[in-house]
Amino acid sequence: MSTSESPQSHIDVGDGAAIPTKSDVGLFTAWRIAFVGSIACCIFLAVYKPDPYLAIFKFVPDGILVTFKVTVGAILLAIVLGLFTGLGRISTNRLVNGIASLYVEVIRGIPLLVQIFYIYYALGRFVRIPDLFSAIIAMAVCYGAYMGEVFRAGIQSIPKGQMEAALSLGMSRRQAMRHVILPQSIKVVLPPIGNEFIALLKDSSLVSILAVSDLLRRCREFASESFTYFETYTVIALIYLVITLFFSKLIGIMEERLNAGK
Amino acid sequence: MRKSWFMLSAVLILAALSFATVPAQAAGARKIVVATDATWPPMEMVDANKQIVGFDIDFMNAVAKEAGLAVTYKNTAWDGIFAGLASGQYDAIISSVTITDERKKNFDFSDPYINIGQIIVVPKTDKITKKLADLKGKKAGAQIGTTGAFEIKKNAGVELKTYDEIGLAFEDMAAGRIMAVVCDEPTAAHYALQKQEYKAKFKIVGEPFTHEGYGITVKKGDKELIALFNKGIKAVRAKKLDEKLRKKWLR
Repeated sequence: MSTSESPQSHIDVGDGAAIPTKSDVGLFTAWRIAFVGSIACCIFLAVYKPDPYLAIFKFVPDGILVTFKVTVGAILLAIVLGLFTGLGRISTNRLVNGIASLYVEVIRGIPLLVQIFYIYYALGRFVRIPDLFSAIIAMAVCYGAYMGEVFRAGIQSIPKGQMEAALSLGMSRRQAMRHVILPQSIKVVLPPIGNEFIALLKDSSLVSILAVSDLLRRCREFASESFTYFETYTVIALIYLVITLFFSKLIGIMEERLNAGK
Repeated sequence: MRKSWFMLSAVLILAALSFATVPAQAAGARKIVVATDATWPPMEMVDANKQIVGFDIDFMNAVAKEAGLAVTYKNTAWDGIFAGLASGQYDAIISSVTITDERKKNFDFSDPYINIGQIIVVPKTDKITKKLADLKGKKAGAQIGTTGAFEIKKNAGVELKTYDEIGLAFEDMAAGRIMAVVCDEPTAAHYALQKQEYKAKFKIVGEPFTHEGYGITVKKGDKELIALFNKGIKAVRAKKLDEKLRKKWLR
């Protein structure tokens, strides 16, 4: 029994961060095993059993491209939406604040799948939006709400003194926000944005319901014709895993670079 | 205390009774579960009372009666309906399944019970399209994993879009995102000629351009069920029941 522990000390648990850091040796090893393992699995399957694995790998690349288009398009749009929502959420203007808060509350209360259906089919009756674009809009509208909370938290994490100092230097509130607060909060919001990006990449599989030929849809088309369900879904899981692991590492490295400048 | 014991035993007895009555109804008949994707009117669909109805359902019931089977239906999404059969979640599929060589490699089929073809539905404003090849450079929709989708795919240059349900393809055509839908002729007729909101917008192009036979699908090697189904189909045909159903559902 050690007496040195204070009664307030917390139980030491990993919180399951999606982004590994270099200092976290355990996570790094797990990442390496998963990444190298899944690539090795892909190569092994394609070489060892070309029928049907090689055929599946040949069938899906355009689906991966669509998945990327949806993910990148949606994340860019979501960041813009999120930035304005975040600023709206901390605005002292009651109307702006109200609109931003309402947007966040409404969107967070509706399942993403329902939103996708809604924007594509329900609104499709009134406005003609091309399929890929409406998939991007649906994802962006949803993630914009979550992103708004990320930005709000990021801005609020900057010490109050920064704003006061900027104002005392003769800056307007807007100038202070643009030149002092936002540049500092970027460092704070970047890791959660990275997490959202990976979550969005995975959730983009939902747009396959819209007849958008993304990675999942391509695989389902292949399986429905060849009846190789086990093989096809194994491949799709591996491909998603490789892509997700790759980006989580990339974001982890980016984060370290940023922290190094501290 | 005594009262609650009484209540509990009463509930238990009631429960036991209600369970006991189920097998009593189907005494003697072999029970099978048949999967259908009830999104393919008028062959199989869910009606206003949430019942699965349609030509296939009536036909299956008639066959089951002749073959001495007790059937319960399981509404299953088309994408994955074959996987469910392969993994033994149900005994058979009756869901407008065309007998194809590729499917025959993986599953067994009863004798074909109706012959049907693929047909093209386009918006009324389209005056050019006569066949699939005319749709080059345009998007055409079909349900995922159907012979309609396979037919579109055969035409290089026509962009195939696959949907989970054929109704979503028609809705997408109504929204102007695709220029044609390919599906079985009865289903095309149901959407293009009978549905109030589509009647004014869509038309059917020409005649069916494939000849396909529907079969009841079972797991590979399930000879016993196939024999029973074929016996039932023969008896239904002999009694001309299929003609009656055709009149009832297909007009």
